[in-house]
Amino acid sequence: MAFAWKAAGITYNRYLAVAARVVRRSLKDDKRLQAERRGEMDLRFAKWEGGKQGENKSLADANQADMAAHAGQSQ
Amino acid sequence: MNSLKIARVALRVAGRSQPVLRRGYADVAPDKLRLSLALPHQTIYKSQDVVQVNIAAESGEMGILAQHVPSIEQLKPGLVEVIEEAGGNKQFFLSGGFATVQPGSVLSINAVEGYPLEDFSAENVRNQISEAQKIAGGSGSEQDKAEANIELEVLESLQAALK
Repeated sequence: MAFAWKAAGITYNRYLAVAARVVRRSLKDDKRLQAERRGEMDLRFAKWEGGKQGENKSLADANQADMAAHAGQSQ
Repeated sequence: MNSLKIARVALRVAGRSQPVLRRGYADVAPDKLRLSLALPHQTIYKSQDVVQVNIAAESGEMGILAQHVPSIEQLKPGLVEVIEEAGGNKQFFLSGGFATVQPGSVLSINAVEGYPLEDFSAENVRNQISEAQKIAGGSGSEQDKAEANIELEVLESLQAALK
């Protein structure tokens, strides 16, 4: 099955995350506040090469850059 | 082996009046489905016997009953309806995930987010639809537009379910 989001380079993981984010924001306000906390992700990572730690990058930004680079590659 | 013989003899002696339906713990009743519906943060159904489950799969809406052929279905963001033994109907809007039917009438549904319909606010849905439409028709990056389109797909399904 060809999905529009796949053609734009979005991964299935990211698709699930976007759909979940929308569902959380559509809740009634009392449940929404609890649910929104589940959507927060602030992960950083650094690559190690030859025993030296590389630059500390945010996972969200790195994923976004990768997806933009892969846009249009899968059909 | 010996205990089996004794059990069989006991059955012959005691069970003359009514046929005994012997089932091991692991077997599901022939007309029931064993449902497990789980989110990462919450278990909605845990190995519970139900009568029927209606799911919104990418390949189409389907109703799953006992003895269903084993299959794996990707879910669309949409309603899942569970018809329970006691006759109650429960509906949940799931944001997406997978439904797996395993041999022996075992159904496992995994989703990221799922709530009963009364937990949603139609106004929040409408506001998000107009925002997403602005982004989708705007001049942002391909990524932003694709994400806005995903949001629109989910929101339209949710709006239809809420009616």
